Amino acid sequence: MELFHNLALGFSTATSLANLFFCLIGVLLGTLIGVLPGIGATATIAMLLPITFQLEPVSSLIMLAGIYYGAQYGGSTTAILINMPGESSSAVTAIDGYQMARKGKAGVALATAAMGSFFAGTVSTFLVAIFAPPLTTIALKFGAAEYFSLMVVGLVSSIALAHGSIIKALAMVALGLLLGLVGTDIYTGTPRFTLGIREYADGLNFVAVAVGVFGIAEILRNLENEQTRSVLMSKVSGLMPSKEEFKAMVGPVLRGTAVGSILGILPGGGAILAAFASYTIEKKVSKNPQEFGHGAIAGVAGPESANNAGAQTSFIPLLTLGIPANPVMALMIGAMIIQGIVPGPNVATEQPALFWGIIASMWIGNLMLVVLNLPLIGLWVKLLTIPYYVLFPIIMAFCAIGVYSVNSNVYDLYSVAFFGLIGYVLSKLRCEPAPLLLGFVLGPLLEENLRRAMILSRGDPMTFVTRPISAGLLIFAALVLVVVFLPSVKKKREEVFVEEE
Amino acid sequence: MKILNAVLGATALAALSLVSAVANAAGYPERQITMIVPFAAGGPTDTVARLVAENMSKTLGQQIVVENVGGAGGTLGAARVANADKDGYTVLLHHIGMATSDSLYRKLPYKTLEAFDYVGLVTDVPMTLLARKDMPANDLKGLVEYAKANKDKVTVANAGIGAASHLCGMLFMSSIQTALVTVPYKGTGPAMTDLLGGQVDIMCDQTTNTTKQIQGGTVKAYAVTSPARLDVLKDVPTVKEAGLPQMEVGIWHGIYTPKGAPKEALDKLSGALKVALADKNIGARFAELGTKPSPESDATPAALKAKLESEIARWKPVIEAAGQYAD
Amino acid sequence: MNSQKIDTTNLICGLLLIATGIFFALESLDLELGTALRMGPGYFPFILACVLIVLGGVILFQAFRIQGEAMGSFAWRGMLFILPAPVIFGMTVRGLGFVPSIFICALIASFASQRMKPLMAVILSAGLTVFSLLVFSYGLGLPFRTFGPWLGY
Repeated sequence: MELFHNLALGFSTATSLANLFFCLIGVLLGTLIGVLPGIGATATIAMLLPITFQLEPVSSLIMLAGIYYGAQYGGSTTAILINMPGESSSAVTAIDGYQMARKGKAGVALATAAMGSFFAGTVSTFLVAIFAPPLTTIALKFGAAEYFSLMVVGLVSSIALAHGSIIKALAMVALGLLLGLVGTDIYTGTPRFTLGIREYADGLNFVAVAVGVFGIAEILRNLENEQTRSVLMSKVSGLMPSKEEFKAMVGPVLRGTAVGSILGILPGGGAILAAFASYTIEKKVSKNPQEFGHGAIAGVAGPESANNAGAQTSFIPLLTLGIPANPVMALMIGAMIIQGIVPGPNVATEQPALFWGIIASMWIGNLMLVVLNLPLIGLWVKLLTIPYYVLFPIIMAFCAIGVYSVNSNVYDLYSVAFFGLIGYVLSKLRCEPAPLLLGFVLGPLLEENLRRAMILSRGDPMTFVTRPISAGLLIFAALVLVVVFLPSVKKKREEVFVEEE
Repeated sequence: MKILNAVLGATALAALSLVSAVANAAGYPERQITMIVPFAAGGPTDTVARLVAENMSKTLGQQIVVENVGGAGGTLGAARVANADKDGYTVLLHHIGMATSDSLYRKLPYKTLEAFDYVGLVTDVPMTLLARKDMPANDLKGLVEYAKANKDKVTVANAGIGAASHLCGMLFMSSIQTALVTVPYKGTGPAMTDLLGGQVDIMCDQTTNTTKQIQGGTVKAYAVTSPARLDVLKDVPTVKEAGLPQMEVGIWHGIYTPKGAPKEALDKLSGALKVALADKNIGARFAELGTKPSPESDATPAALKAKLESEIARWKPVIEAAGQYAD
Repeated sequence: MNSQKIDTTNLICGLLLIATGIFFALESLDLELGTALRMGPGYFPFILACVLIVLGGVILFQAFRIQGEAMGSFAWRGMLFILPAPVIFGMTVRGLGFVPSIFICALIASFASQRMKPLMAVILSAGLTVFSLLVFSYGLGLPFRTFGPWLGY
């Protein structure tokens, strides 16, 4: 019953008038910056750090956490409406969400995202509360070999991301992996593929690449044959999903929540995989895999739930170990330190009100998001009625500001233009950007962990199969491969393939 | 045209307010100062910078805005400042990397000792030598013996080339004259995770990152690299007490301006830095991080210049012996 | 749709992928390759580049077998105005400052569409500049110079 005692403490902290207020501010701000393309949670939290000096520690952390999941939510909004994902996780939402929007179902897609996120948020908040300490031990069992095997699972599953030619999808993954390796090799310090430009020493900026291959390429596609083509969509239907659509959501939301909660705990890269993994699973279990990529509701519901659950559980390593799972969590640590709380294993016992207050505020924040955003969906959808030729200069300006704000690096802006061109050319060549982005995210992690595993095992490749978790993951990857190439599945895939080509 | 008028009006108003703001004050500083931190927001250096900048803003009467220009081991941010206007409105807060990058990078776009003027030292963050929780050795002597006996097996984690943990790891190996297996990570977070999980054996990092882990008993601490024991880690001996005095090292932080900044600006910045370092609140925050503000005598241009020169000379042979460069 | 039944899309796609693969492979060869047990910085990218070349080859091969739909028209005007917009913002934001730079960026992007009228473009860009200044500079406190040194500030 300690759990209830703790949760009661948390809720009494989080529901104080001041904390509710800051939670609201955070969620609103997060949604706002999430909706502005290009500006992500990382940049905003960095900018707001100085403001948190003046606040109580709990209030400031509640506000920053609100920005984080608010931005996750807002980022999906732009992914759905204008195909402009601000974070890696919403790249997946863009695949089917944007197609739904083009079919006039923007409202349904947004509502699906909102409800999926809220459900996932509720479940994972309780998971954080119940399992925070035991779950961390799982994270600690993950060494380089396990991460490598996990990445392999991710790559194998990426085949499912394609709705065209598998060969092209694989080529895109390979290209993405290579692009991900641009930058300094951490083992030797050698710069790779930087063309001698020092600004690329830390690699290509993810936001720049994503905005380029998804957003800019989409703008260019819309500018083809302007005279003849009608703008974006003709009409927008109602917001509420129909009964059938509700039914179609339930399974994906449940599975997405489970996948996201588990992967979110892993520090470094786990959360990135959650949305991709959920999409793969949905496509695998779906009766109509050919719908994916053309506006499947499961392709929005699953990844959105996974992404939100992962965002929530990525607080577990932060709160229990003091280890950041992603750049935003690193900033949260910065915020805690500024407040005089150094995160670590003792926070839960030394600062119970803070620890449980943050957890309780997560749920309250998610509730606020739904309550705020369901009515707002109408407003977001209205944005789409703005003529496209007015909309895209605005998008371009915000993109430029957003990308530049990440690191004040003008070369990131040059990357945006370059990857915009690449993305456009690839789309003309009927190549998908999503596998490229997955490869880009996984590339450095895959290589880093492969080489690290080899160093740690003193050059013994058996390390991947003698370590149980790693072996399990590799077996799983092999199973996925087998399933993909099983006759029945292969046949189904070929139907899709023929339809595409 | 109503909208157009409104827009034009608003633009004019915004422009006007800016012009008047610029024309208002006389003497340095008359507008906001940009402090470049050459690392990502949220890291230990960023935290130090924001704490100090906030207090210096109060003394100077103008906002100091922290801008994070991360990348290439801090050299991108330093290069930005080296090429900035010499008016005293762009300053750099950099750590020991200012000295080590002089040897780690063979093609720096600036000359470290010629491109900057000095404001003063800010703090000197000590390092802690750690090992995984189940490491058999119970003191530094035992750890050194264990490392020497298992030199092909013992792994040393670091957060990437040029990181504090990389420097300290190199220093440890050169101090015990044994080459161990180095395992680089991208950042302190993943390195610390693997140390907690027992995937790697040894890591040496700033107290900023390690204090809570040590207090929580999730890692074993063998020594602190400061001259005296730390208040927050009373039980951990200094490297001198533990028998490796050559490992005494700190991640010192300093504030610089581009070479040729006005004397008035340097004096005022240095003065504001002294006030900030004497502030009780800053002292308390630094103490929680396991460090303390530099003494007033070190918050001077001369002290920082001397420190930079001596540290460049100190690290050159260590880095050359390791034979690993970052470009 | 030509007589030899070559799918130009896949032809170009395959050739581009092969060329990209060769570029990365050559660059990797300049780096230290190492061995499978002690991989150098060039090892992993070299393998990937080879995979890319092979996949490009397969796509090239398919171009001669499967006929696909044509590529359609290119948005030349769009590329001419959209792609330079972020580049010019990047080149001017430190020199001219945030306000002129974002104005120019929006103005250039505006002309990517044939429907945009010059007056409309100027109004839109000006409004956008004011909005951005208020939200990003004042609201969110981004550390941008409003007007830069090139303008004498």
